[in-house]
Amino acid sequence: MNRPGALLLTCCSVAASACAQEKVNAGAQVLADFQKRVAEYVKVHKVARAEVHGLKPTDSPEAIERHERKLAHEIRESRRGAQAGDIFTPPIAEEFRRLIGEIMSGPDAGKIRASLRSAAPVSLPVLNVNDPYPAGVALQSTPPSLLMNLPQLPPELDYRVVGRTLILRDVEANLIVDSIPNAIP
Amino acid sequence: MRRIALLLALSCALIDQAANLTLPDKPKSVKFAVIGDGGTGARPQYEIAEQMLDYHNQFPFDSVLMLGDNIYGGQKAEDFKRKFEDPYSALLGAGVKFFASLGNHDGTNERLYKPFNMEGKRYYSFKKGDAEFFALDSNYMDPEQLDWIKKQLSGSGARWKICFFHHPLYSDGRMHGPDLDLRKLLEPLFQQYGVQVVLAGHEHFYERIEPHNGITYFVLGNSGQLRMHNVRGSPDVAKAFDTDQAFALMEIDGDQLHFQIVSRTGATVDQGVVAIAAKVDKEK
Repeated sequence: MNRPGALLLTCCSVAASACAQEKVNAGAQVLADFQKRVAEYVKVHKVARAEVHGLKPTDSPEAIERHERKLAHEIRESRRGAQAGDIFTPPIAEEFRRLIGEIMSGPDAGKIRASLRSAAPVSLPVLNVNDPYPAGVALQSTPPSLLMNLPQLPPELDYRVVGRTLILRDVEANLIVDSIPNAIP
Repeated sequence: MRRIALLLALSCALIDQAANLTLPDKPKSVKFAVIGDGGTGARPQYEIAEQMLDYHNQFPFDSVLMLGDNIYGGQKAEDFKRKFEDPYSALLGAGVKFFASLGNHDGTNERLYKPFNMEGKRYYSFKKGDAEFFALDSNYMDPEQLDWIKKQLSGSGARWKICFFHHPLYSDGRMHGPDLDLRKLLEPLFQQYGVQVVLAGHEHFYERIEPHNGITYFVLGNSGQLRMHNVRGSPDVAKAFDTDQAFALMEIDGDQLHFQIVSRTGATVDQGVVAIAAKVDKEK
Protein backbone atom coordinates (compact mmCIF):
# COMPACT_ATOMS: atom_id res chain seq x y z
CA MET A 1 0.00 0.00 0.00
CA ASN A 2 1.32 3.52 -0.79
CA ARG A 3 1.76 6.09 1.99
CA PRO A 4 -1.38 8.20 1.34
CA GLY A 5 -3.43 4.98 1.27
CA ALA A 6 -2.00 3.81 4.59
CA LEU A 7 -2.59 7.24 6.09
CA LEU A 8 -6.21 7.22 4.92
CA LEU A 9 -6.70 3.75 6.41
CA THR A 10 -5.22 4.84 9.74
CA CYS A 11 -7.45 7.95 9.81
CA CYS A 12 -10.55 5.85 9.08
CA SER A 13 -9.64 3.34 11.77
CA VAL A 14 -9.04 6.09 14.36
CA ALA A 15 -12.33 7.77 13.40
CA ALA A 16 -14.25 4.49 13.66
CA SER A 17 -12.71 3.70 17.02
CA ALA A 18 -13.51 7.22 18.29
CA CYS A 19 -17.07 6.84 17.04
CA ALA A 20 -17.48 3.48 18.80
CA GLN A 21 -16.02 4.95 22.00
CA GLU A 22 -18.45 7.85 21.75
CA LYS A 23 -21.33 5.37 21.43
CA VAL A 24 -20.14 3.45 24.48
CA ASN A 25 -19.83 6.65 26.49
CA ALA A 26 -23.29 7.78 25.39
CA GLY A 27 -24.68 4.34 26.35
CA ALA A 28 -22.99 4.51 29.74
CA GLN A 29 -24.45 7.97 30.36
CA VAL A 30 -27.92 6.76 29.45
CA LEU A 31 -27.59 3.76 31.78
CA ALA A 32 -26.32 6.01 34.58
CA ASP A 33 -29.46 8.06 34.11
CA PHE A 34 -31.50 4.84 34.34
CA GLN A 35 -29.79 3.88 37.63
CA LYS A 36 -30.52 7.36 38.99
CA ARG A 37 -34.20 7.00 38.14
CA VAL A 38 -34.29 3.52 39.67
CA ALA A 39 -32.69 4.87 42.86
CA GLU A 40 -35.34 7.60 43.02
CA TYR A 41 -38.05 4.98 42.65
CA VAL A 42 -36.51 2.85 45.41
CA LYS A 43 -36.64 5.87 47.73
CA VAL A 44 -40.37 6.13 47.07
CA HIS A 45 -40.75 2.40 47.67
CA LYS A 46 -38.87 2.57 50.97
CA VAL A 47 -40.91 5.50 52.27
CA ALA A 48 -44.12 3.69 51.32
CA ARG A 49 -42.88 0.48 52.94
CA ALA A 50 -42.06 2.30 56.16
CA GLU A 51 -45.56 3.75 56.06
CA VAL A 52 -47.16 0.28 55.91
CA HIS A 53 -44.56 -1.25 58.30
CA GLY A 54 -43.13 -3.94 56.02
CA LEU A 55 -44.14 -7.55 56.58
CA LYS A 56 -42.38 -10.50 58.16
CA PRO A 57 -43.24 -14.08 57.17
CA THR A 58 -46.70 -14.89 58.43
CA ASP A 59 -49.21 -17.75 58.60
CA SER A 60 -51.88 -15.41 57.28
CA PRO A 61 -52.37 -15.14 53.50
CA GLU A 62 -54.81 -12.31 54.26
CA ALA A 63 -51.97 -10.33 55.86
CA ILE A 64 -49.78 -10.90 52.78
CA GLU A 65 -52.51 -9.82 50.41
CA ARG A 66 -53.38 -6.80 52.56
CA HIS A 67 -49.73 -5.78 52.78
CA GLU A 68 -49.24 -6.03 49.02
CA ARG A 69 -52.38 -3.97 48.41
CA LYS A 70 -51.51 -1.30 50.98
CA LEU A 71 -47.94 -0.97 49.74
CA ALA A 72 -49.13 -0.67 46.13
CA HIS A 73 -51.64 1.97 47.21
CA GLU A 74 -48.99 4.03 49.04
CA ILE A 75 -46.63 3.88 46.07
CA ARG A 76 -49.41 4.76 43.64
CA GLU A 77 -50.32 7.76 45.79
CA SER A 78 -46.70 8.94 45.85
CA ARG A 79 -46.40 8.46 42.11
CA ARG A 80 -49.73 9.92 41.11
CA GLY A 81 -49.29 11.15 37.58
CA ALA A 82 -46.50 8.66 36.84
CA GLN A 83 -46.45 7.80 33.16
CA ALA A 84 -44.93 5.25 30.87
CA GLY A 85 -41.46 6.47 29.99
CA ASP A 86 -40.74 8.16 33.33
CA ILE A 87 -38.03 5.61 34.06
CA PHE A 88 -37.59 4.07 30.63
CA THR A 89 -37.21 7.45 28.93
CA PRO A 90 -36.93 7.26 25.12
CA PRO A 91 -33.09 7.21 25.16
CA ILE A 92 -33.05 4.60 27.98
CA ALA A 93 -35.62 2.46 26.16
CA GLU A 94 -33.54 2.72 23.00
CA GLU A 95 -30.40 1.67 24.85
CA PHE A 96 -32.26 -1.32 26.36
CA ARG A 97 -33.53 -2.33 22.92
CA ARG A 98 -29.98 -2.09 21.63
CA LEU A 99 -28.60 -4.21 24.50
CA ILE A 100 -31.32 -6.84 24.16
CA GLY A 101 -30.95 -6.85 20.38
CA GLU A 102 -27.23 -7.43 20.77
CA ILE A 103 -27.74 -10.36 23.16
CA MET A 104 -30.45 -11.85 21.02
CA SER A 105 -28.39 -11.79 17.88
CA GLY A 106 -25.29 -13.17 19.62
CA PRO A 107 -24.10 -16.75 20.02
CA ASP A 108 -26.68 -17.52 22.75
CA ALA A 109 -29.66 -16.22 20.79
CA GLY A 110 -31.02 -19.72 20.15
CA LYS A 111 -30.85 -20.68 23.82
CA ILE A 112 -32.55 -17.44 24.89
CA ARG A 113 -35.36 -17.91 22.39
CA ALA A 114 -35.75 -21.53 23.57
CA SER A 115 -35.84 -20.26 27.15
CA LEU A 116 -38.57 -17.76 26.27
CA ARG A 117 -40.57 -20.48 24.52
CA SER A 118 -40.24 -22.96 27.39
CA ALA A 119 -41.24 -20.33 29.94
CA ALA A 120 -44.95 -20.45 29.01
CA PRO A 121 -45.20 -17.03 27.36
CA VAL A 122 -47.90 -14.70 28.57
CA SER A 123 -49.66 -11.84 26.84
CA LEU A 124 -51.56 -9.03 28.47
CA PRO A 125 -53.80 -6.72 26.50
CA VAL A 126 -53.16 -3.67 28.69
CA LEU A 127 -50.06 -2.72 30.65
CA ASN A 128 -50.45 0.50 32.59
CA VAL A 129 -47.94 2.10 34.89
CA ASN A 130 -49.15 1.88 38.52
CA ASP A 131 -51.43 -1.09 37.75
CA PRO A 132 -50.87 -4.28 39.69
CA TYR A 133 -49.51 -7.19 37.69
CA PRO A 134 -52.81 -9.04 37.17
CA ALA A 135 -53.68 -11.74 39.68
CA GLY A 136 -53.97 -15.17 38.13
CA VAL A 137 -51.72 -14.35 35.19
CA ALA A 138 -48.44 -16.28 35.18
CA LEU A 139 -45.21 -14.35 35.66
CA GLN A 140 -43.10 -15.40 32.74
CA SER A 141 -39.52 -16.20 33.67
CA THR A 142 -36.85 -13.84 32.37
CA PRO A 143 -34.00 -15.59 30.51
CA PRO A 144 -30.89 -15.48 32.70
CA SER A 145 -28.68 -14.34 29.81
CA LEU A 146 -30.82 -11.24 29.48
CA LEU A 147 -30.47 -10.59 33.20
CA MET A 148 -26.70 -10.98 32.99
CA ASN A 149 -26.51 -8.27 30.35
CA LEU A 150 -29.04 -5.72 31.56
CA PRO A 151 -28.27 -3.20 34.30
CA GLN A 152 -28.58 -4.90 37.67
CA LEU A 153 -31.58 -3.91 39.76
CA PRO A 154 -32.00 -3.49 43.51
CA PRO A 155 -34.05 -6.25 45.18
CA GLU A 156 -37.16 -4.07 45.22
CA LEU A 157 -37.49 -4.37 41.43
CA ASP A 158 -37.35 -7.00 38.72
CA TYR A 159 -37.50 -7.23 34.93
CA ARG A 160 -40.29 -9.35 33.47
CA VAL A 161 -41.13 -10.27 29.92
CA VAL A 162 -44.71 -10.03 28.69
CA GLY A 163 -44.91 -10.97 25.04
CA ARG A 164 -42.37 -8.63 23.43
CA THR A 165 -42.60 -6.07 26.22
CA LEU A 166 -40.10 -5.71 29.03
CA ILE A 167 -41.69 -4.70 32.32
CA LEU A 168 -40.09 -3.11 35.34
CA ARG A 169 -42.02 -4.50 38.31
CA ASP A 170 -42.06 -3.65 41.99
CA VAL A 171 -41.65 -7.13 43.48
CA GLU A 172 -43.25 -6.67 46.89
CA ALA A 173 -46.07 -4.38 45.73
CA ASN A 174 -46.53 -6.43 42.53
CA LEU A 175 -46.87 -3.16 40.67
CA ILE A 176 -45.97 -2.26 37.10
CA VAL A 177 -43.47 0.59 37.40
CA ASP A 178 -42.68 1.08 33.73
CA SER A 179 -42.39 -0.88 30.49
CA ILE A 180 -40.65 -0.94 27.11
CA PRO A 181 -42.85 -2.12 24.25
CA ASN A 182 -41.16 -4.14 21.52
CA ALA A 183 -38.08 -4.65 23.66
CA ILE A 184 -37.76 -8.28 22.60
CA PRO A 185 -36.95 -8.49 18.87
CA MET B 1 -68.33 -53.11 68.41
CA ARG B 2 -67.24 -56.19 66.45
CA ARG B 3 -68.50 -54.56 63.24
CA ILE B 4 -66.43 -51.44 63.94
CA ALA B 5 -63.34 -53.54 64.63
CA LEU B 6 -63.94 -55.44 61.43
CA LEU B 7 -64.32 -52.20 59.47
CA LEU B 8 -61.13 -50.83 61.01
CA ALA B 9 -59.21 -53.98 60.15
CA LEU B 10 -60.58 -53.87 56.62
CA SER B 11 -59.67 -50.21 56.10
CA CYS B 12 -56.16 -50.83 57.50
CA ALA B 13 -55.80 -53.71 55.08
CA LEU B 14 -56.89 -51.42 52.21
CA ILE B 15 -54.40 -48.76 53.25
CA ASP B 16 -51.64 -51.37 53.40
CA GLN B 17 -52.62 -52.57 49.98
CA ALA B 18 -52.65 -49.06 48.55
CA ALA B 19 -49.42 -47.95 50.19
CA ASN B 20 -47.03 -50.44 48.71
CA LEU B 21 -43.76 -49.04 49.94
CA THR B 22 -40.63 -50.09 48.07
CA LEU B 23 -38.20 -47.85 49.98
CA PRO B 24 -35.94 -49.35 52.67
CA ASP B 25 -37.44 -47.13 55.42
CA LYS B 26 -34.32 -47.21 57.59
CA PRO B 27 -34.60 -45.73 61.08
CA LYS B 28 -32.10 -42.87 60.73
CA SER B 29 -32.44 -42.11 57.03
CA VAL B 30 -33.50 -38.74 55.54
CA LYS B 31 -37.07 -39.15 54.34
CA PHE B 32 -38.95 -36.65 52.22
CA ALA B 33 -41.67 -36.36 49.62
CA VAL B 34 -41.78 -34.21 46.48
CA ILE B 35 -44.69 -32.56 44.69
CA GLY B 36 -44.75 -30.24 41.70
CA ASP B 37 -47.40 -28.10 40.01
CA GLY B 38 -49.81 -29.22 42.65
CA GLY B 39 -51.78 -26.11 43.63
CA THR B 40 -54.89 -26.43 41.50
CA GLY B 41 -57.43 -26.98 44.27
CA ALA B 42 -59.07 -29.62 42.07
CA ARG B 43 -59.96 -33.19 42.96
CA PRO B 44 -56.74 -34.85 41.68
CA GLN B 45 -54.62 -32.69 43.99
CA TYR B 46 -56.69 -33.90 46.95
CA GLU B 47 -56.37 -37.49 45.80
CA ILE B 48 -52.60 -37.16 45.58
CA ALA B 49 -52.62 -35.65 49.09
CA GLU B 50 -54.62 -38.67 50.33
CA GLN B 51 -52.07 -41.04 48.82
CA MET B 52 -49.27 -39.04 50.43
CA LEU B 53 -50.99 -39.43 53.78
CA ASP B 54 -51.42 -43.18 53.27
CA TYR B 55 -47.74 -43.53 52.53
CA HIS B 56 -46.85 -41.24 55.40
CA ASN B 57 -48.43 -43.76 57.77
CA GLN B 58 -45.86 -46.31 56.64
CA PHE B 59 -43.00 -44.06 55.70
CA PRO B 60 -42.95 -41.08 58.08
CA PHE B 61 -41.33 -38.41 55.91
CA ASP B 62 -40.97 -35.13 57.77
CA SER B 63 -40.70 -32.76 54.81
CA VAL B 64 -42.15 -32.13 51.37
CA LEU B 65 -40.30 -30.29 48.60
CA MET B 66 -42.57 -28.18 46.40
CA LEU B 67 -41.33 -27.66 42.84
CA GLY B 68 -43.38 -24.56 42.11
CA ASP B 69 -46.84 -23.63 40.88
CA ASN B 70 -47.90 -24.08 44.46
CA ILE B 71 -50.95 -21.83 44.18
CA TYR B 72 -52.53 -21.45 40.73
CA GLY B 73 -54.84 -18.56 39.92
CA GLY B 74 -55.39 -15.92 42.59
CA GLN B 75 -53.33 -15.36 45.70
CA LYS B 76 -56.21 -14.72 48.08
CA ALA B 77 -56.65 -16.42 51.45
CA GLU B 78 -59.26 -18.79 50.01
CA ASP B 79 -56.75 -19.86 47.33
CA PHE B 80 -54.17 -20.77 49.96
CA LYS B 81 -56.85 -22.65 51.89
CA ARG B 82 -58.29 -24.61 48.97
CA LYS B 83 -55.00 -25.24 47.16
CA PHE B 84 -52.68 -25.89 50.10
CA GLU B 85 -54.06 -25.85 53.62
CA ASP B 86 -57.06 -28.13 53.03
CA PRO B 87 -55.51 -30.83 50.83
CA TYR B 88 -52.45 -31.21 53.04
CA SER B 89 -54.14 -30.48 56.39
CA ALA B 90 -53.51 -33.98 57.79
CA LEU B 91 -49.83 -33.89 56.82
CA LEU B 92 -49.46 -30.37 58.22
CA GLY B 93 -51.20 -31.55 61.37
CA ALA B 94 -48.72 -34.41 61.64
CA GLY B 95 -45.89 -31.86 61.68
CA VAL B 96 -44.70 -32.36 58.10
CA LYS B 97 -42.87 -29.26 56.85
CA PHE B 98 -43.31 -28.03 53.28
CA PHE B 99 -40.40 -26.28 51.54
CA ALA B 100 -41.52 -24.33 48.48
CA SER B 101 -39.80 -23.03 45.40
CA LEU B 102 -41.55 -20.52 43.15
CA GLY B 103 -43.13 -21.39 39.80
CA ASN B 104 -44.35 -19.09 37.07
CA HIS B 105 -47.88 -19.32 38.46
CA ASP B 106 -46.84 -18.28 41.97
CA GLY B 107 -46.93 -14.78 43.37
CA THR B 108 -43.47 -13.70 44.52
CA ASN B 109 -44.93 -12.88 47.93
CA GLU B 110 -45.61 -16.56 48.59
CA ARG B 111 -42.12 -16.39 50.06
CA LEU B 112 -43.73 -14.57 53.02
CA TYR B 113 -46.16 -17.42 53.70
CA LYS B 114 -44.71 -19.18 56.75
CA PRO B 115 -45.96 -22.72 55.98
CA PHE B 116 -43.83 -22.62 52.79
CA ASN B 117 -40.70 -22.22 55.00
CA MET B 118 -38.99 -19.78 52.61
CA GLU B 119 -38.36 -17.23 55.38
CA GLY B 120 -39.13 -14.36 53.06
CA LYS B 121 -36.52 -15.41 50.47
CA ARG B 122 -36.87 -16.33 46.80
CA TYR B 123 -34.02 -18.83 47.18
CA TYR B 124 -32.63 -20.54 50.25
CA SER B 125 -31.07 -23.74 51.53
CA PHE B 126 -31.56 -26.11 54.44
CA LYS B 127 -29.89 -29.23 55.79
CA LYS B 128 -31.23 -32.58 56.81
CA GLY B 129 -28.86 -35.28 57.95
CA ASP B 130 -26.32 -35.95 55.21
CA ALA B 131 -28.15 -33.79 52.70
CA GLU B 132 -28.33 -30.12 51.88
CA PHE B 133 -31.26 -28.87 49.82
CA PHE B 134 -31.08 -25.75 47.65
CA ALA B 135 -34.31 -24.11 46.58
CA LEU B 136 -33.83 -21.79 43.60
CA ASP B 137 -36.06 -19.26 41.90
CA SER B 138 -35.77 -20.30 38.26
CA ASN B 139 -38.22 -17.56 37.25
CA TYR B 140 -35.57 -14.99 37.88
CA MET B 141 -32.01 -16.30 37.80
CA ASP B 142 -30.23 -12.97 38.17
CA PRO B 143 -26.47 -12.57 38.75
CA GLU B 144 -27.03 -12.16 42.48
CA GLN B 145 -28.77 -15.53 42.75
CA LEU B 146 -26.10 -17.18 40.61
CA ASP B 147 -23.41 -15.83 42.95
CA TRP B 148 -25.40 -17.07 45.92
CA ILE B 149 -25.79 -20.64 44.63
CA LYS B 150 -22.14 -20.78 43.64
CA LYS B 151 -21.12 -19.72 47.16
CA GLN B 152 -23.56 -22.10 48.85
CA LEU B 153 -22.58 -25.11 46.78
CA SER B 154 -18.86 -24.48 47.06
CA GLY B 155 -19.12 -24.03 50.82
CA SER B 156 -21.37 -27.01 51.43
CA GLY B 157 -19.83 -30.02 53.11
CA ALA B 158 -22.96 -32.12 52.74
CA ARG B 159 -22.57 -35.58 51.26
CA TRP B 160 -25.75 -35.06 49.23
CA LYS B 161 -26.48 -31.84 47.38
CA ILE B 162 -29.98 -31.62 46.00
CA CYS B 163 -31.26 -28.64 44.02
CA PHE B 164 -34.93 -28.02 43.39
CA PHE B 165 -36.69 -25.36 41.34
CA HIS B 166 -39.45 -24.98 38.78
CA HIS B 167 -38.08 -24.89 35.22
CA PRO B 168 -36.39 -28.12 34.09
CA LEU B 169 -32.89 -28.10 32.62
CA TYR B 170 -33.74 -31.35 30.85
CA SER B 171 -37.17 -32.38 29.70
CA ASP B 172 -38.72 -34.24 26.83
CA GLY B 173 -42.05 -32.48 27.07
CA ARG B 174 -43.82 -31.47 23.89
CA MET B 175 -45.33 -28.45 25.64
CA HIS B 176 -42.31 -26.65 27.13
CA GLY B 177 -39.08 -28.57 26.75
CA PRO B 178 -35.89 -27.74 28.61
CA ASP B 179 -34.79 -24.26 29.58
CA LEU B 180 -31.51 -24.19 27.66
CA ASP B 181 -30.47 -20.74 28.80
CA LEU B 182 -30.87 -21.75 32.43
CA ARG B 183 -29.05 -25.02 31.78
CA LYS B 184 -26.10 -23.19 30.26
CA LEU B 185 -25.56 -21.27 33.52
CA LEU B 186 -26.56 -23.79 36.18
CA GLU B 187 -25.33 -27.13 34.91
CA PRO B 188 -21.60 -26.24 35.03
CA LEU B 189 -22.02 -25.14 38.66
CA PHE B 190 -23.91 -28.31 39.55
CA GLN B 191 -21.17 -30.41 37.98
CA GLN B 192 -18.33 -28.44 39.51
CA TYR B 193 -19.70 -28.60 43.03
CA GLY B 194 -21.00 -32.15 43.02
CA VAL B 195 -24.79 -31.84 42.92
CA GLN B 196 -26.21 -35.35 42.53
CA VAL B 197 -29.93 -34.77 42.12
CA VAL B 198 -31.94 -31.98 40.49
CA LEU B 199 -35.72 -31.79 40.82
CA ALA B 200 -37.93 -29.58 38.65
CA GLY B 201 -41.59 -29.21 37.70
CA HIS B 202 -43.27 -27.02 35.05
CA GLU B 203 -43.99 -29.96 32.71
CA HIS B 204 -47.20 -31.62 33.80
CA PHE B 205 -45.91 -35.16 33.86
CA TYR B 206 -43.22 -37.27 35.50
CA GLU B 207 -39.91 -37.93 33.82
CA ARG B 208 -36.57 -39.27 35.01
CA ILE B 209 -33.74 -38.34 32.70
CA GLU B 210 -30.72 -40.56 32.10
CA PRO B 211 -27.89 -39.14 34.24
CA HIS B 212 -25.79 -36.36 32.73
CA ASN B 213 -22.26 -36.10 34.12
CA GLY B 214 -23.26 -37.78 37.34
CA ILE B 215 -26.42 -35.75 37.89
CA THR B 216 -29.84 -37.36 37.92
CA TYR B 217 -32.61 -35.02 36.77
CA PHE B 218 -36.22 -35.57 37.76
CA VAL B 219 -39.19 -33.68 36.32
CA LEU B 220 -42.30 -33.91 38.48
CA GLY B 221 -45.02 -31.46 37.54
CA ASN B 222 -48.09 -33.64 37.82
CA SER B 223 -49.04 -33.55 41.49
CA GLY B 224 -52.17 -31.58 40.63
CA GLN B 225 -51.92 -30.78 36.96
CA LEU B 226 -51.65 -33.33 34.18
CA ARG B 227 -50.76 -33.05 30.50
CA MET B 228 -51.63 -36.44 29.05
CA HIS B 229 -49.28 -38.15 26.58
CA ASN B 230 -46.93 -35.19 26.50
CA VAL B 231 -43.57 -36.91 26.84
CA ARG B 232 -41.94 -37.43 23.48
CA GLY B 233 -39.83 -40.52 22.93
CA SER B 234 -36.14 -39.89 23.46
CA PRO B 235 -33.09 -41.95 24.40
CA ASP B 236 -32.68 -39.45 27.23
CA VAL B 237 -35.82 -40.70 28.97
CA ALA B 238 -35.00 -43.23 31.67
CA LYS B 239 -38.64 -43.41 32.73
CA ALA B 240 -41.74 -41.33 32.03
CA PHE B 241 -45.30 -41.29 33.28
CA ASP B 242 -47.81 -38.94 31.68
CA THR B 243 -51.19 -40.57 32.11
CA ASP B 244 -52.03 -39.65 35.69
CA GLN B 245 -50.99 -37.42 38.60
CA ALA B 246 -48.06 -38.47 40.80
CA PHE B 247 -45.76 -37.55 43.68
CA ALA B 248 -42.36 -38.80 44.80
CA LEU B 249 -41.02 -40.35 47.98
CA MET B 250 -37.28 -40.23 48.56
CA GLU B 251 -34.98 -41.66 51.16
CA ILE B 252 -31.31 -40.92 51.68
CA ASP B 253 -29.39 -43.64 53.42
CA GLY B 254 -25.62 -43.25 53.37
CA ASP B 255 -24.40 -43.16 49.78
CA GLN B 256 -27.76 -44.08 48.33
CA LEU B 257 -30.85 -42.10 47.49
CA HIS B 258 -33.86 -44.35 46.99
CA PHE B 259 -36.87 -43.03 45.14
CA GLN B 260 -40.40 -44.23 44.56
CA ILE B 261 -42.88 -42.42 42.33
CA VAL B 262 -46.50 -43.03 43.26
CA SER B 263 -49.53 -42.30 41.11
CA ARG B 264 -52.91 -40.90 42.15
CA THR B 265 -54.24 -44.46 42.41
CA GLY B 266 -51.36 -45.57 44.62
CA ALA B 267 -49.49 -47.48 41.94
CA THR B 268 -45.70 -47.31 41.90
CA VAL B 269 -44.77 -45.95 38.48
CA ASP B 270 -41.01 -45.71 38.96
CA GLN B 271 -38.51 -46.71 41.59
CA GLY B 272 -34.77 -46.98 41.89
CA VAL B 273 -31.59 -45.83 43.53
CA VAL B 274 -29.19 -42.99 42.83
CA ALA B 275 -25.81 -43.84 44.28
CA ILE B 276 -22.99 -41.41 44.90
CA ALA B 277 -20.26 -43.91 44.04
CA ALA B 278 -21.73 -45.27 40.83
CA LYS B 279 -21.79 -42.45 38.33
CA VAL B 280 -23.18 -44.04 35.20
CA ASP B 281 -23.19 -41.27 32.64
CA LYS B 282 -25.02 -41.51 29.42
CA GLU B 283 -24.60 -38.42 27.36
CA LYS B 284 -26.78 -37.62 24.38
